[in-house]
Amino acid sequence: MSGQTGANGRPTIAVMFGGRSLEHDVSVVSGLQILHALDPARFAPMPIYIDQQTRWWVGDDLWHTETFKGGGPDRSGLIEVTLSPGFGSSALVPVDPMHVLPGAGRTLSGVTRAGGGSVPVDCFVPVLHGTYGEDGCVQGALELGGCAYVGCGVMASAIGMNKRATKIMAAHAGVPIVRWLSCERAVLERGHAWLAEYPARVTDSFGWPVIVKPCNLGSSAGVSVAHSADELISGLLTVFEYDVEAIIEPFIKNRLEINVAVAGLDEPVASVTEMPVTSQETPLTFAEKYRRQGRKSIGSSEGMAGALRVLDPDQLPVELRANAQRYAVAVFATLGCEGISRIDFLIDADTNELFFNEINTLPGSLAFYLWSAAPHHWTITDLLARLIDRATRLRAMKRGLQRRPPAELKLLGEGRSG
Amino acid sequence: MIEFWPWVPILSLAFVWLAWRRLLAYLRYFQQEGYEALRFLRWTGIRSLTDPAFWVAVASGFLYLLDPLLAVVLFTVGAVVLALVQPDPRATGKIRLRLTWRARRVAGVALVLALSAFVLLVRVFVDIEVRAPLVAAAFLFAGLPLALVVANGVLAPYERHVQHTYYAQAVTQLARVHPAVIGITGSYGKSSSKAMLAHMLQFHAPTLAASGSINTVMGVTRHIREELVPGHAFMVVEMGAYAVGSISRLCALTPPSAGLITAVGDMHLERFGSTDAILRAKRELAQALPAGGVLVCNADSPNALRIAEMTRQCRVLLYGEQHQGPLDTRVEGIRFTRQGTHFVLRTQERAYDCFTPLLGRPIILNLAGSFTLAVALGADPEVTVASLRTLKPVSNRLEVVEDAGVTWIRDAYNSNQFGFRAALEVAADLPATRRFMVTPGVIELGAEQAPVNRALSAAAAHVCDYTLVVSDTNRQAYVDGHRDAGREDRLVVVPNRTEAFRWLHDHLHDGDIVILENDLPDLYEGTAGVFWPASARRPS
Repeated sequence: MSGQTGANGRPTIAVMFGGRSLEHDVSVVSGLQILHALDPARFAPMPIYIDQQTRWWVGDDLWHTETFKGGGPDRSGLIEVTLSPGFGSSALVPVDPMHVLPGAGRTLSGVTRAGGGSVPVDCFVPVLHGTYGEDGCVQGALELGGCAYVGCGVMASAIGMNKRATKIMAAHAGVPIVRWLSCERAVLERGHAWLAEYPARVTDSFGWPVIVKPCNLGSSAGVSVAHSADELISGLLTVFEYDVEAIIEPFIKNRLEINVAVAGLDEPVASVTEMPVTSQETPLTFAEKYRRQGRKSIGSSEGMAGALRVLDPDQLPVELRANAQRYAVAVFATLGCEGISRIDFLIDADTNELFFNEINTLPGSLAFYLWSAAPHHWTITDLLARLIDRATRLRAMKRGLQRRPPAELKLLGEGRSG
Repeated sequence: MIEFWPWVPILSLAFVWLAWRRLLAYLRYFQQEGYEALRFLRWTGIRSLTDPAFWVAVASGFLYLLDPLLAVVLFTVGAVVLALVQPDPRATGKIRLRLTWRARRVAGVALVLALSAFVLLVRVFVDIEVRAPLVAAAFLFAGLPLALVVANGVLAPYERHVQHTYYAQAVTQLARVHPAVIGITGSYGKSSSKAMLAHMLQFHAPTLAASGSINTVMGVTRHIREELVPGHAFMVVEMGAYAVGSISRLCALTPPSAGLITAVGDMHLERFGSTDAILRAKRELAQALPAGGVLVCNADSPNALRIAEMTRQCRVLLYGEQHQGPLDTRVEGIRFTRQGTHFVLRTQERAYDCFTPLLGRPIILNLAGSFTLAVALGADPEVTVASLRTLKPVSNRLEVVEDAGVTWIRDAYNSNQFGFRAALEVAADLPATRRFMVTPGVIELGAEQAPVNRALSAAAAHVCDYTLVVSDTNRQAYVDGHRDAGREDRLVVVPNRTEAFRWLHDHLHDGDIVILENDLPDLYEGTAGVFWPASARRPS
């Protein structure tokens, strides 16, 4: 690992969580898990909290769950930072220059400041869910800074966040998908004809009931099942509160869900399958998914790791489980994913058909519960070390690419180098 | 006789700690009263004399005559224990203390003032009274609320300066984004109308509305600075009238092009003095509208109708249910179910069959007002009607929650008699084995408070099998009202909410409905929670 600038020579690993999305709280829970799972003997972990205004904060308070209860952390104990401008600096600088004044030697989140008040970061671990975090935005910023970061790059993140684009890619990879209709929010600008048009299209295309979901949101927020035209319109309007596009799919009445995580190591590796335990009637709601423990505070929630599930469900045919793993790797590879993604499938229990449902390029808790089980028995700590190592090598590879323009692109003469 | 002076540092430390805790406890209420000295002092009254800290200081003073050492120990231990058992106002109570920068400033300056006063008093008494620190402590504990008031006064010029800066920033941002501002006022239903109108308008064009009930110049200023961004086509502003002139000041900050007046009644009569003053205060919104603007008024409210009739310079639309004259939107056929309300909105053009998960007659009426305005601003009426289905009940505003066989009608945030009656009406419409109501009654009605509550009590007696009246504030009116209805035996008097829930816990069965109506600020519920921990928490 290059540039070992952290405390006692350990590389600084910045875990980013929070973010401007509906899944802010889920991200905080996941982020704190990851932060505490990093091996302190090998790394100098550092929390970066991204608030709802997408401002970045560092500080020692961010290590504790209590900090986040009751309307977010007290900013007075934190220092606002931003990525240091300039490609390749991979460092954080305080936004307020006043914070530089105490000078070098002051510590920022356990990391001694180098000169100039900036804190070099060796690798970022985005644990951000949903928009402005899982969709390539933060990844793009990190690319501009020439930073190493764990997880999908800009393209895979952006595609993975868009259910329509993901379906097209999955279908291209030969993975079976559920048929769909798309309804863009722009229909609102064209009067009310769509109020009758979409129910009619559903009836013509695949009949009732249908599931209505936002095209660009992770988690189950805004998802509803519609049995009638009224419910379809309500579902679409609910989606349009959050998203610019809705996806309508036939609702598989007798459905099972099965998920597989894939880790992007030197080769993509599929985890064991899991079946979330949920009611058959409706899809997982936000509350069911994240607050299954029955307590509303984020402190008592364990994020996705706390939801009920069956690992390697043996009531399902071996072949089905193997197919899910095979398809998961195919989707992961086709999208060009990195890090850990969780790929969710639906099973029509009547026909035993398997369908790709969606991909989470930054799954809650990085789906560590799937890796700690057989056959891998990887701890999250080891897995993170491997992912950080790969992220660092990927960055090195990108840095090593030729940047000298060929002669035909040198329009302004010599003397300009990258 | 021991030498007193070595003990002074220990005594002072205990004093400082307890004084700081007490300042925070009082600050919560000062903050709740919007840092208004008079309202705060009215709440305080002689409360500080009931503070055990005061009595510990006084007792130590007398004990000193018998045994100085014991007196010092009593004071020190007493102060430490009292500081420890005092609930943290930042973490307890219905409205918690928010340690904003202003709150910190006020608390900090108040502490400095209190300590200076302490030192000064010790010096004054030191020659005539050997117990000077104890005497000074007693005086200080009695006068602590005043320290906050004085601190706030000292800081006033600074606060004004800060506010001016923020105000200027807000004006600049508003000029840059230039949204069409919609002002909403009324004696009640402002917040819910704002939420409903914003919900309907969002499907027409990007709309900004504050999620809470922000309705003051400083609140709106902050909201603009933090949330208004280019692209917002509408901004819905709740305009609270705390006195004649408050709406004018809001309209100066956010000049409205449309207005909605929900109802003009006798809310906060105490503050205004007369219904006429309330009318004048609310009319300021109508007067601020430009020639091309639109005003929507609730024709069922005689005062709102008068404002409509007085408004000539812009388009005026009326909505209502009872009003006999012509209406732009009329509400018909209201029917309540556990899932929500079915009703019809009849406009000049046609009738729309509507359904919404929200409950309560005033809510449906407010919804008609918001619908009228949204359509007037260009929203598609059919899409708007469809959007009524996706409205979400606001927590604690006629919110129906089923829990383990019992239906809870949570209406804790309502605080007026009309909402009170609306909750009773919904409860009466829903099938139930038995009906219960928990309420402290309604407040801030001046001389009307007793008769209004008495009438509400009688109405509750007709619908509910049992009514639990909480706290002493309106207890007598509820006793009288139930006697009027001939159902004295169905009234349960409880000192606080905790006791009410304890009673319910022992009596509820499957199929019962419980209305939780109004929830007074801590101010009105005795001293529990200020100096001592409240005995138990409310079940959620």
